[in-house]
Amino acid sequence: MVPCIQASDVTLTFRPKDREAVTAINGLTLEVARGEFVSIVGPSGCGKSTFLNVLLGLLKPDKGEIQLNGKRISGPGEERAMVFQEFGLLPWRTVLANVELGLELKGVAADTRRKRARGLIELVGLTAFENHYPHELSGGMKQRVGLARALVTEPEVLLMDEPFAALDAQTRDLMQTELLQIWDRAKKTVIFVTHSIEEAAYLSDRVVIMSARPGKVKEVLRIGLPRPREYEMRLSPGFNEIKSRIWSTLKEELVTRIGGDGAQR
Amino acid sequence: MALRDRYYEHQRPILGTVSVIGFFLLWEWLLTSVVTVDPFFLTQPSKVAAAAKELFLGGAIWQDLAVSSKAFLWGFSAAVIVGIPTGVFMGWRRRAEYTLDPFFTALYASPLVALAPLLIIIFGVGLTGKVVLVFLLAVFPFIFNAFAGVKSTDRLLVNVVRSFGGKEKDIYWKVILPSILPYMVAGARIAIGRGIVGIIVGEFYAASEGIGFAISRFGDTYRLPEMFAAILVLMILAVVFTEGLRKLENVLAPWKIGQEAR
Ligand SMILES: Nc1ncnc2c1ncn2[C@@H]1O[C@H](COP(=O)(O)OP(=O)(O)OP(=O)(O)O)[C@@H](O)[C@H]1O
Ligand SMILES: [Mg+2]
Repeated sequence: MVPCIQASDVTLTFRPKDREAVTAINGLTLEVARGEFVSIVGPSGCGKSTFLNVLLGLLKPDKGEIQLNGKRISGPGEERAMVFQEFGLLPWRTVLANVELGLELKGVAADTRRKRARGLIELVGLTAFENHYPHELSGGMKQRVGLARALVTEPEVLLMDEPFAALDAQTRDLMQTELLQIWDRAKKTVIFVTHSIEEAAYLSDRVVIMSARPGKVKEVLRIGLPRPREYEMRLSPGFNEIKSRIWSTLKEELVTRIGGDGAQR
Repeated sequence: MALRDRYYEHQRPILGTVSVIGFFLLWEWLLTSVVTVDPFFLTQPSKVAAAAKELFLGGAIWQDLAVSSKAFLWGFSAAVIVGIPTGVFMGWRRRAEYTLDPFFTALYASPLVALAPLLIIIFGVGLTGKVVLVFLLAVFPFIFNAFAGVKSTDRLLVNVVRSFGGKEKDIYWKVILPSILPYMVAGARIAIGRGIVGIIVGEFYAASEGIGFAISRFGDTYRLPEMFAAILVLMILAVVFTEGLRKLENVLAPWKIGQEAR
Protein backbone atom coordinates (compact mmCIF):
# COMPACT_ATOMS: atom_id res chain seq x y z
CA MET A 1 0.00 0.00 0.00
CA VAL A 2 1.15 3.54 -0.75
CA PRO A 3 1.82 5.47 2.43
CA CYS A 4 -0.33 8.53 2.92
CA ILE A 5 2.64 10.84 3.22
CA GLN A 6 6.07 10.12 1.86
CA ALA A 7 8.74 12.74 2.39
CA SER A 8 12.02 11.93 0.73
CA ASP A 9 15.22 13.83 1.27
CA VAL A 10 13.42 17.16 1.77
CA THR A 11 15.84 20.07 1.95
CA LEU A 12 14.94 23.71 2.24
CA THR A 13 17.11 26.78 2.64
CA PHE A 14 15.75 30.22 3.42
CA ARG A 15 17.58 32.99 1.63
CA PRO A 16 16.45 36.24 3.18
CA LYS A 17 17.59 39.39 1.45
CA ASP A 18 20.67 41.00 3.06
CA ARG A 19 21.04 38.16 5.52
CA GLU A 20 22.76 34.85 5.76
CA ALA A 21 21.00 31.88 4.24
CA VAL A 22 19.56 29.40 6.76
CA THR A 23 19.13 25.76 5.91
CA ALA A 24 16.07 24.88 7.95
CA ILE A 25 15.72 21.24 6.97
CA ASN A 26 18.28 19.04 5.32
CA GLY A 27 17.51 15.59 3.94
CA LEU A 28 14.35 14.91 5.91
CA THR A 29 12.86 11.52 5.08
CA LEU A 30 9.66 10.25 6.66
CA GLU A 31 6.75 8.00 5.83
CA VAL A 32 3.37 8.27 7.44
CA ALA A 33 0.65 5.67 6.98
CA ARG A 34 -2.97 6.54 6.34
CA GLY A 35 -4.78 7.13 9.60
CA GLU A 36 -1.61 7.34 11.59
CA PHE A 37 -1.02 9.83 14.39
CA VAL A 38 2.58 11.04 14.26
CA SER A 39 4.11 13.64 16.55
CA ILE A 40 7.23 15.61 15.81
CA VAL A 41 9.45 16.92 18.59
CA GLY A 42 12.73 18.73 18.23
CA PRO A 43 14.66 21.73 19.46
CA SER A 44 13.29 25.17 18.75
CA GLY A 45 14.27 26.36 15.28
CA CYS A 46 15.03 22.88 13.95
CA GLY A 47 12.59 23.26 11.07
CA LYS A 48 9.35 21.67 12.33
CA SER A 49 7.13 24.50 11.17
CA THR A 50 9.07 24.67 7.94
CA PHE A 51 8.41 21.00 7.32
CA LEU A 52 4.69 21.46 7.97
CA ASN A 53 4.62 24.39 5.57
CA VAL A 54 6.17 22.22 2.89
CA LEU A 55 3.55 19.58 3.62
CA LEU A 56 0.86 22.21 3.36
CA GLY A 57 2.22 23.29 -0.01
CA LEU A 58 3.14 26.84 0.98
CA LEU A 59 6.89 26.28 0.68
CA LYS A 60 8.70 24.43 -2.07
CA PRO A 61 11.71 22.33 -1.09
CA ASP A 62 15.02 23.02 -2.83
CA LYS A 63 15.68 19.32 -2.99
CA GLY A 64 13.61 16.19 -2.48
CA GLU A 65 9.85 16.03 -2.52
CA ILE A 66 6.80 15.04 -0.54
CA GLN A 67 4.16 12.77 -1.97
CA LEU A 68 0.63 12.66 -0.72
CA ASN A 69 -1.26 9.51 -1.69
CA GLY A 70 1.36 8.90 -4.34
CA LYS A 71 1.15 12.38 -5.87
CA ARG A 72 3.80 15.05 -5.47
CA ILE A 73 2.64 18.02 -3.37
CA SER A 74 2.90 21.19 -5.44
CA GLY A 75 0.55 23.52 -3.58
CA PRO A 76 -2.23 23.68 -1.03
CA GLY A 77 -5.11 21.27 -1.37
CA GLU A 78 -8.39 20.72 0.39
CA GLU A 79 -7.40 17.31 1.73
CA ARG A 80 -4.96 19.10 4.07
CA ALA A 81 -5.49 21.76 6.71
CA MET A 82 -3.16 23.38 9.22
CA VAL A 83 -3.56 24.64 12.74
CA PHE A 84 -1.02 27.45 12.69
CA GLN A 85 1.48 28.01 15.47
CA GLU A 86 0.78 31.75 15.47
CA PHE A 87 -2.97 31.25 15.05
CA GLY A 88 -3.27 33.34 11.88
CA LEU A 89 -6.80 34.52 12.60
CA LEU A 90 -8.12 37.32 10.41
CA PRO A 91 -8.50 40.29 12.80
CA TRP A 92 -11.47 41.70 10.85
CA ARG A 93 -13.50 38.54 11.17
CA THR A 94 -15.49 37.33 14.12
CA VAL A 95 -14.84 33.89 15.54
CA LEU A 96 -17.69 32.49 13.45
CA ALA A 97 -16.48 34.10 10.23
CA ASN A 98 -12.93 32.94 10.90
CA VAL A 99 -14.06 29.36 11.32
CA GLU A 100 -16.15 29.61 8.16
CA LEU A 101 -13.17 30.72 6.06
CA GLY A 102 -12.24 27.35 4.56
CA LEU A 103 -15.82 26.50 3.65
CA GLU A 104 -16.36 29.94 2.19
CA LEU A 105 -13.32 29.54 -0.05
CA LYS A 106 -14.67 26.18 -1.16
CA GLY A 107 -17.93 27.84 -2.14
CA VAL A 108 -20.14 26.14 0.45
CA ALA A 109 -23.54 27.82 0.84
CA ALA A 110 -23.83 30.34 3.67
CA ASP A 111 -26.35 28.50 5.85
CA THR A 112 -24.55 25.15 5.57
CA ARG A 113 -21.21 26.63 6.49
CA ARG A 114 -22.70 28.57 9.38
CA LYS A 115 -24.19 25.38 10.78
CA ARG A 116 -20.98 23.41 10.43
CA ALA A 117 -18.87 26.21 11.85
CA ARG A 118 -21.19 26.52 14.86
CA GLY A 119 -20.84 22.80 15.50
CA LEU A 120 -17.06 23.09 15.75
CA ILE A 121 -17.16 26.28 17.76
CA GLU A 122 -19.26 24.36 20.25
CA LEU A 123 -16.76 21.51 20.23
CA VAL A 124 -13.94 23.85 21.20
CA GLY A 125 -16.15 25.49 23.80
CA LEU A 126 -16.44 28.98 22.32
CA THR A 127 -20.15 29.25 21.56
CA ALA A 128 -20.50 32.29 23.80
CA PHE A 129 -17.76 34.02 21.82
CA GLU A 130 -18.79 33.36 18.24
CA ASN A 131 -19.40 37.06 17.56
CA HIS A 132 -16.20 38.26 19.18
CA TYR A 133 -13.21 39.52 17.25
CA PRO A 134 -9.80 37.88 17.74
CA HIS A 135 -8.38 40.82 19.72
CA GLU A 136 -11.07 40.19 22.32
CA LEU A 137 -9.93 36.60 22.93
CA SER A 138 -7.22 35.12 25.10
CA GLY A 139 -4.32 33.24 23.53
CA GLY A 140 -5.84 29.89 24.35
CA MET A 141 -9.17 30.89 22.86
CA LYS A 142 -7.51 32.04 19.66
CA GLN A 143 -5.76 28.73 19.41
CA ARG A 144 -9.06 26.87 19.72
CA VAL A 145 -10.54 29.02 16.95
CA GLY A 146 -7.59 27.98 14.79
CA LEU A 147 -8.33 24.36 15.65
CA ALA A 148 -12.02 24.71 14.77
CA ARG A 149 -11.12 26.45 11.53
CA ALA A 150 -8.89 23.57 10.45
CA LEU A 151 -11.36 20.87 11.47
CA VAL A 152 -14.41 22.39 9.82
CA THR A 153 -13.18 21.60 6.32
CA GLU A 154 -12.89 17.92 7.32
CA PRO A 155 -9.41 17.43 5.91
CA GLU A 156 -8.01 13.97 5.47
CA VAL A 157 -4.64 15.15 6.74
CA LEU A 158 -4.47 17.42 9.74
CA LEU A 159 -1.25 19.36 10.25
CA MET A 160 -0.97 20.76 13.75
CA ASP A 161 1.79 23.16 14.75
CA GLU A 162 1.93 23.23 18.54
CA PRO A 163 -1.85 23.51 18.58
CA PHE A 164 -2.22 23.29 22.35
CA ALA A 165 0.82 25.32 23.41
CA ALA A 166 -1.24 28.33 24.51
CA LEU A 167 -3.84 26.35 26.44
CA ASP A 168 -4.05 25.95 30.19
CA ALA A 169 -3.43 22.43 31.47
CA GLN A 170 -7.10 21.51 31.92
CA THR A 171 -8.28 22.79 28.55
CA ARG A 172 -5.32 21.07 27.03
CA ASP A 173 -6.35 17.71 28.48
CA LEU A 174 -9.89 18.27 27.20
CA MET A 175 -8.71 19.21 23.73
CA GLN A 176 -6.38 16.21 23.58
CA THR A 177 -9.29 13.90 24.33
CA GLU A 178 -11.47 15.62 21.72
CA LEU A 179 -8.70 15.39 19.15
CA LEU A 180 -8.20 11.68 19.75
CA GLN A 181 -11.93 11.11 19.35
CA ILE A 182 -12.11 13.06 16.11
CA TRP A 183 -9.04 11.28 14.83
CA ASP A 184 -10.50 7.90 15.70
CA ARG A 185 -13.96 8.65 14.36
CA ALA A 186 -12.95 10.35 11.11
CA LYS A 187 -9.83 8.24 10.46
CA LYS A 188 -7.63 11.23 9.86
CA THR A 189 -3.90 11.27 9.39
CA VAL A 190 -2.40 13.67 11.92
CA ILE A 191 1.04 15.27 11.98
CA PHE A 192 1.37 16.93 15.33
CA VAL A 193 4.24 19.22 16.31
CA THR A 194 4.73 19.77 20.01
CA HIS A 195 7.34 20.66 22.59
CA SER A 196 5.65 18.50 25.20
CA ILE A 197 7.16 15.03 25.36
CA GLU A 198 4.24 13.89 27.47
CA GLU A 199 1.72 15.07 24.92
CA ALA A 200 3.62 13.44 22.06
CA ALA A 201 3.84 10.13 23.88
CA TYR A 202 0.23 10.16 24.99
CA LEU A 203 -1.34 10.99 21.62
CA SER A 204 0.83 9.32 19.02
CA ASP A 205 1.39 6.05 17.25
CA ARG A 206 4.93 7.20 16.56
CA VAL A 207 7.07 10.07 17.79
CA VAL A 208 9.61 11.59 15.42
CA ILE A 209 12.58 13.23 17.09
CA MET A 210 14.30 15.78 14.91
CA SER A 211 17.91 16.83 15.11
CA ALA A 212 18.94 20.43 15.69
CA ARG A 213 19.00 22.72 12.68
CA PRO A 214 19.32 21.88 9.87
CA GLY A 215 16.58 19.49 10.86
CA LYS A 216 16.30 15.90 9.82
CA VAL A 217 14.81 12.80 11.39
CA LYS A 218 17.07 11.65 14.19
CA GLU A 219 14.99 8.86 15.57
CA VAL A 220 11.48 7.47 15.32
CA LEU A 221 9.90 5.80 18.33
CA ARG A 222 6.82 3.63 18.12
CA ILE A 223 4.53 4.09 21.10
CA GLY A 224 3.18 0.71 22.05
CA LEU A 225 0.40 1.91 24.35
CA PRO A 226 -2.99 0.38 23.57
CA ARG A 227 -5.85 2.36 22.01
CA PRO A 228 -8.03 4.03 22.98
CA ARG A 229 -5.67 5.96 25.18
CA GLU A 230 -6.87 6.59 28.70
CA TYR A 231 -5.80 9.44 30.87
CA GLU A 232 -4.60 6.98 33.55
CA MET A 233 -2.02 5.54 31.18
CA ARG A 234 0.08 8.62 31.84
CA LEU A 235 0.60 7.41 35.37
CA SER A 236 1.95 3.98 34.42
CA PRO A 237 5.65 3.07 34.68
CA GLY A 238 5.62 2.11 30.98
CA PHE A 239 4.63 5.66 30.06
CA ASN A 240 7.46 7.11 32.09
CA GLU A 241 9.82 4.74 30.36
CA ILE A 242 8.69 6.06 26.95
CA LYS A 243 9.04 9.64 28.10
CA SER A 244 12.55 9.17 29.34
CA ARG A 245 13.59 7.51 26.09
CA ILE A 246 12.29 10.46 24.08
CA TRP A 247 13.92 12.87 26.49
CA SER A 248 17.34 11.25 26.38
CA THR A 249 17.42 11.40 22.58
CA LEU A 250 16.15 14.95 22.52
CA LYS A 251 18.58 16.11 25.18
CA GLU A 252 21.61 15.40 23.00
CA GLU A 253 20.14 17.73 20.36
CA LEU A 254 19.43 20.49 22.82
CA VAL A 255 23.03 20.41 23.99
CA THR A 256 24.27 20.45 20.39
CA ARG A 257 22.04 23.36 19.53
CA ILE A 258 22.95 25.56 22.43
CA GLY A 259 26.65 24.70 22.06
CA GLY A 260 26.51 25.25 18.30
CA ASP A 261 24.82 28.61 18.49
CA GLY A 262 27.22 29.76 21.17
CA ALA A 263 30.24 28.84 19.05
CA GLN A 264 28.91 30.82 16.09
CA ARG A 265 28.66 34.09 17.90
CA MET B 1 -18.05 60.83 40.62
CA ALA B 2 -20.98 60.54 38.24
CA LEU B 3 -20.06 63.84 36.65
CA ARG B 4 -16.53 62.64 36.21
CA ASP B 5 -17.68 59.46 34.49
CA ARG B 6 -19.87 61.53 32.21
CA TYR B 7 -16.87 63.67 31.39
CA TYR B 8 -14.70 60.69 30.47
CA GLU B 9 -17.46 59.33 28.31
CA HIS B 10 -17.51 62.49 26.20
CA GLN B 11 -13.92 63.52 26.69
CA ARG B 12 -13.18 63.87 23.01
CA PRO B 13 -15.96 66.33 21.98
CA ILE B 14 -15.61 68.30 25.22
CA LEU B 15 -11.88 68.89 24.90
CA GLY B 16 -12.25 69.57 21.18
CA THR B 17 -14.94 72.20 21.70
CA VAL B 18 -13.07 73.87 24.52
CA SER B 19 -9.93 74.24 22.43
CA VAL B 20 -11.78 75.67 19.42
CA ILE B 21 -13.84 78.14 21.45
CA GLY B 22 -10.77 79.06 23.46
CA PHE B 23 -8.88 79.83 20.28
CA PHE B 24 -11.57 82.20 19.00
CA LEU B 25 -11.95 83.91 22.34
CA LEU B 26 -8.20 84.46 22.48
CA TRP B 27 -8.19 85.85 18.99
CA GLU B 28 -11.08 88.20 19.75
CA TRP B 29 -9.53 89.35 23.00
CA LEU B 30 -6.07 89.90 21.51
CA LEU B 31 -7.40 92.06 18.71
CA THR B 32 -9.80 94.09 20.81
CA SER B 33 -7.90 94.64 24.05
CA VAL B 34 -4.23 93.86 23.60
CA VAL B 35 -3.01 94.92 20.19
CA THR B 36 -4.94 97.23 17.99
CA VAL B 37 -4.28 96.36 14.41
CA ASP B 38 -5.47 98.19 11.41
CA PRO B 39 -8.75 96.43 10.47
CA PHE B 40 -7.36 96.59 7.00
CA PHE B 41 -5.14 93.59 7.74
CA LEU B 42 -6.81 91.58 10.45
CA THR B 43 -10.22 91.23 11.88
CA GLN B 44 -12.01 89.79 14.90
CA PRO B 45 -14.04 86.58 15.01
CA SER B 46 -17.18 88.53 15.93
CA LYS B 47 -16.99 90.48 12.69
CA VAL B 48 -16.24 87.31 10.76
CA ALA B 49 -19.26 85.66 12.31
CA ALA B 50 -21.45 88.57 11.34
CA ALA B 51 -20.12 88.41 7.79
CA ALA B 52 -20.65 84.66 7.66
CA LYS B 53 -24.23 85.08 8.78
CA GLU B 54 -24.76 87.64 6.08
CA LEU B 55 -23.21 85.42 3.43
CA PHE B 56 -25.34 82.43 4.32
CA LEU B 57 -28.59 84.31 4.79
CA GLY B 58 -27.97 86.39 1.70
CA GLY B 59 -27.56 83.12 -0.16
CA ALA B 60 -24.57 84.20 -2.21
CA ILE B 61 -22.23 81.63 -0.73
CA TRP B 62 -24.43 78.60 -1.39
CA GLN B 63 -23.93 78.76 -5.12
CA ASP B 64 -20.16 79.05 -4.66
CA LEU B 65 -20.20 76.17 -2.24
CA ALA B 66 -22.12 73.97 -4.65
CA VAL B 67 -19.75 74.74 -7.51
CA SER B 68 -16.63 74.03 -5.47
CA SER B 69 -18.03 70.91 -3.84
CA LYS B 70 -18.95 69.43 -7.16
CA ALA B 71 -15.41 69.81 -8.49
CA PHE B 72 -14.01 68.49 -5.25
CA LEU B 73 -16.22 65.41 -5.14
CA TRP B 74 -15.55 64.45 -8.74
CA GLY B 75 -11.80 64.86 -8.39
CA PHE B 76 -11.70 63.14 -5.03
CA SER B 77 -13.80 60.17 -6.18
CA ALA B 78 -11.59 59.73 -9.20
CA ALA B 79 -8.56 59.80 -6.89
CA VAL B 80 -10.05 57.02 -4.76
CA ILE B 81 -11.02 54.89 -7.73
CA VAL B 82 -7.66 55.24 -9.45
CA GLY B 83 -5.38 55.60 -6.43
CA ILE B 84 -6.32 52.56 -4.37
CA PRO B 85 -6.04 49.90 -7.10
CA THR B 86 -2.82 51.49 -8.37
CA GLY B 87 -1.27 51.46 -4.91
CA VAL B 88 -2.40 47.91 -4.20
CA PHE B 89 -1.02 46.72 -7.51
CA MET B 90 2.26 48.48 -6.85
CA GLY B 91 2.50 46.93 -3.41
CA TRP B 92 1.66 43.41 -4.52
CA ARG B 93 3.67 43.18 -7.74
CA ARG B 94 7.32 43.94 -7.31
CA ARG B 95 7.79 44.79 -10.99
CA ALA B 96 4.98 47.31 -10.85
CA GLU B 97 6.65 48.88 -7.83
CA TYR B 98 10.03 49.20 -9.50
CA THR B 99 8.48 50.64 -12.65
CA LEU B 100 6.03 53.13 -11.17
CA ASP B 101 7.66 54.21 -7.94
CA PRO B 102 10.14 56.75 -9.38
CA PHE B 103 7.42 58.64 -11.23
CA PHE B 104 4.96 58.70 -8.40
CA THR B 105 7.54 59.67 -5.82
CA ALA B 106 8.66 62.58 -7.95
CA LEU B 107 5.11 63.70 -8.63
CA TYR B 108 4.02 63.35 -5.02
CA ALA B 109 6.94 65.45 -3.85
CA SER B 110 6.54 68.20 -6.43
CA PRO B 111 4.19 71.17 -6.04
CA LEU B 112 1.55 70.06 -8.52
CA VAL B 113 -0.48 73.20 -7.93
CA ALA B 114 2.07 74.85 -10.18
CA LEU B 115 0.39 73.02 -13.01
CA ALA B 116 -2.83 74.95 -12.43
CA PRO B 117 -2.29 77.54 -15.19
CA LEU B 118 -1.42 74.81 -17.66
CA LEU B 119 -4.47 72.75 -16.77
CA ILE B 120 -6.66 75.79 -17.22
CA ILE B 121 -5.18 76.41 -20.64
CA ILE B 122 -5.87 72.80 -21.56
CA PHE B 123 -9.27 72.30 -19.97
CA GLY B 124 -10.64 75.83 -19.75
CA VAL B 125 -12.01 77.64 -16.74
CA GLY B 126 -14.93 75.29 -16.17
CA LEU B 127 -15.35 72.24 -14.03
CA THR B 128 -12.91 69.91 -15.82
CA GLY B 129 -9.71 71.80 -15.07
CA LYS B 130 -10.52 71.95 -11.36
CA VAL B 131 -11.48 68.29 -11.25
CA VAL B 132 -8.19 67.32 -12.85
CA LEU B 133 -6.25 69.47 -10.43
CA VAL B 134 -8.04 68.00 -7.40
CA PHE B 135 -7.48 64.53 -8.79
CA LEU B 136 -3.76 65.10 -9.32
CA LEU B 137 -3.32 66.40 -5.81
CA ALA B 138 -5.49 63.83 -4.07
CA VAL B 139 -4.48 60.67 -5.90
CA PHE B 140 -0.96 60.31 -4.52
CA PRO B 141 -1.85 59.96 -0.85
CA PHE B 142 -4.14 57.12 -1.88
CA ILE B 143 -1.50 55.46 -4.02
CA PHE B 144 1.22 55.66 -1.41
CA ASN B 145 -0.94 54.71 1.53
CA ALA B 146 -2.41 51.73 -0.30
CA PHE B 147 1.13 50.77 -1.21
CA ALA B 148 2.34 51.02 2.38
CA GLY B 149 -0.73 49.12 3.55
CA VAL B 150 -0.06 46.25 1.21
CA LYS B 151 3.59 46.15 2.24
CA SER B 152 2.60 45.82 5.87
CA THR B 153 0.02 43.11 5.24
CA ASP B 154 0.67 40.11 7.46
CA ARG B 155 2.20 37.37 5.29
CA LEU B 156 0.88 34.74 7.66
CA LEU B 157 -2.71 35.76 6.86
CA VAL B 158 -2.00 35.58 3.15
CA ASN B 159 -0.63 32.09 3.69
CA VAL B 160 -3.63 31.08 5.77
CA VAL B 161 -6.06 32.08 3.04
CA ARG B 162 -3.92 30.41 0.43
CA SER B 163 -3.70 27.21 2.45
CA PHE B 164 -7.48 26.96 2.64
CA GLY B 165 -7.68 27.16 -1.13
CA GLY B 166 -7.80 30.95 -1.59
CA LYS B 167 -6.90 32.25 -5.02
CA GLU B 168 -5.30 35.59 -5.95
CA LYS B 169 -8.73 37.23 -5.96
CA ASP B 170 -9.53 35.95 -2.45
CA ILE B 171 -6.23 37.30 -1.17
CA TYR B 172 -7.10 40.74 -2.52
CA TRP B 173 -10.60 40.81 -1.10
CA LYS B 174 -10.25 38.89 2.14
CA VAL B 175 -6.78 39.93 3.30
CA ILE B 176 -5.30 42.91 1.51
CA LEU B 177 -8.35 45.14 1.36
CA PRO B 178 -9.35 44.84 5.01
CA SER B 179 -5.78 45.26 6.16
CA ILE B 180 -5.16 48.44 4.14
CA LEU B 181 -8.38 50.08 5.29
CA PRO B 182 -6.82 52.07 8.16
CA TYR B 183 -4.12 53.23 5.76
CA MET B 184 -6.80 54.39 3.34
CA VAL B 185 -8.47 56.47 6.02
CA ALA B 186 -5.15 58.09 6.85
CA GLY B 187 -4.54 58.69 3.15
CA ALA B 188 -7.98 60.21 2.68
CA ARG B 189 -7.31 62.65 5.50
CA ILE B 190 -4.26 63.99 3.68
CA ALA B 191 -6.05 63.88 0.34
CA ILE B 192 -8.91 66.03 1.64
CA GLY B 193 -6.49 68.78 2.56
CA ARG B 194 -4.66 68.60 -0.74
CA GLY B 195 -7.89 68.44 -2.71
CA ILE B 196 -9.18 71.61 -1.09
CA VAL B 197 -5.94 73.34 -1.98
CA GLY B 198 -6.56 72.20 -5.56
CA ILE B 199 -10.02 73.75 -5.62
CA ILE B 200 -8.90 77.06 -4.22
CA VAL B 201 -5.89 77.44 -6.45
CA GLY B 202 -7.93 76.42 -9.47
CA GLU B 203 -10.50 79.06 -8.66
CA PHE B 204 -7.92 81.71 -7.86
CA TYR B 205 -6.49 81.45 -11.32
CA ALA B 206 -9.53 81.62 -13.44
CA ALA B 207 -13.11 81.20 -12.39
CA SER B 208 -16.28 83.19 -12.08
CA GLU B 209 -17.74 81.30 -9.15
CA GLY B 210 -16.76 78.95 -6.33
CA ILE B 211 -15.39 79.44 -2.85
CA GLY B 212 -11.89 80.08 -4.11
CA PHE B 213 -13.19 82.78 -6.41
CA ALA B 214 -15.18 84.26 -3.52
CA ILE B 215 -12.08 84.37 -1.34
CA SER B 216 -9.99 86.09 -3.96
CA ARG B 217 -12.80 88.52 -4.80
CA PHE B 218 -13.29 89.52 -1.16
CA GLY B 219 -9.56 89.79 -0.74
CA ASP B 220 -9.19 92.00 -3.78
CA THR B 221 -11.89 94.31 -2.52
CA TYR B 222 -10.51 94.40 1.04
CA ARG B 223 -13.59 92.85 2.59
CA LEU B 224 -11.67 90.95 5.21
CA PRO B 225 -14.54 89.70 7.40
CA GLU B 226 -16.19 88.20 4.33
CA MET B 227 -12.94 86.71 3.18
CA PHE B 228 -12.34 85.07 6.53
CA ALA B 229 -15.94 83.87 6.54
CA ALA B 230 -15.37 82.14 3.22
CA ILE B 231 -12.18 80.56 4.55
CA LEU B 232 -14.13 79.46 7.59
CA VAL B 233 -16.61 77.73 5.32
CA LEU B 234 -13.73 75.76 3.84
CA MET B 235 -12.45 74.80 7.23
CA ILE B 236 -15.87 73.59 8.23
CA LEU B 237 -16.10 71.62 5.03
CA ALA B 238 -12.76 69.93 5.70
CA VAL B 239 -13.77 69.09 9.25
CA VAL B 240 -17.09 67.66 8.11
CA PHE B 241 -15.38 65.46 5.53
CA THR B 242 -12.79 64.26 8.04
CA GLU B 243 -15.42 63.50 10.67
CA GLY B 244 -17.51 61.69 8.06
CA LEU B 245 -14.45 59.64 7.32
CA ARG B 246 -14.09 58.66 10.96
CA LYS B 247 -17.72 57.56 11.05
CA LEU B 248 -17.25 55.64 7.82
CA GLU B 249 -14.22 53.89 9.26
CA ASN B 250 -16.25 52.76 12.25
CA VAL B 251 -18.88 51.32 9.94
CA LEU B 252 -16.40 49.63 7.62
CA ALA B 253 -14.02 48.44 10.30
CA PRO B 254 -16.03 47.44 13.37
CA TRP B 255 -13.15 45.28 14.58
CA LYS B 256 -11.12 48.44 15.22
CA ILE B 257 -13.57 49.92 17.69
CA GLY B 258 -12.35 49.51 21.23
CA GLN B 259 -8.92 48.54 20.00
CA GLU B 260 -7.77 52.12 19.73
CA ALA B 261 -5.38 53.30 22.44
CA ARG B 262 -6.98 55.55 25.03
N1 LIG C 1 10.51 32.95 6.39
C1 LIG C 1 11.74 32.69 6.88
N2 LIG C 1 12.79 33.37 6.45
C2 LIG C 1 14.02 33.12 6.93
N3 LIG C 1 14.30 32.18 7.83
C3 LIG C 1 13.30 31.45 8.30
C4 LIG C 1 11.94 31.66 7.86
N4 LIG C 1 11.14 30.79 8.50
C5 LIG C 1 11.95 30.08 9.31
N5 LIG C 1 13.24 30.47 9.20
C6 LIG C 1 14.40 29.87 9.90
O1 LIG C 1 14.35 28.49 9.69
C7 LIG C 1 14.67 27.80 10.88
C8 LIG C 1 13.55 26.83 11.23
O2 LIG C 1 12.39 27.54 11.56
P1 LIG C 1 11.05 26.83 11.98
O3 LIG C 1 10.05 27.87 12.18
O4 LIG C 1 10.73 25.76 11.02
O5 LIG C 1 11.47 26.19 13.38
P2 LIG C 1 10.59 25.33 14.41
O6 LIG C 1 11.24 23.99 14.51
O7 LIG C 1 9.17 25.36 14.03
O8 LIG C 1 10.84 26.12 15.76
P3 LIG C 1 9.86 26.36 16.99
O9 LIG C 1 9.82 25.08 17.75
O10 LIG C 1 10.54 27.43 17.77
O11 LIG C 1 8.54 26.74 16.44
C9 LIG C 1 14.89 28.85 11.94
O12 LIG C 1 16.27 29.00 12.10
C10 LIG C 1 14.32 30.10 11.38
O13 LIG C 1 15.08 31.22 11.75
MG1 LIG D 1 7.50 26.23 14.82
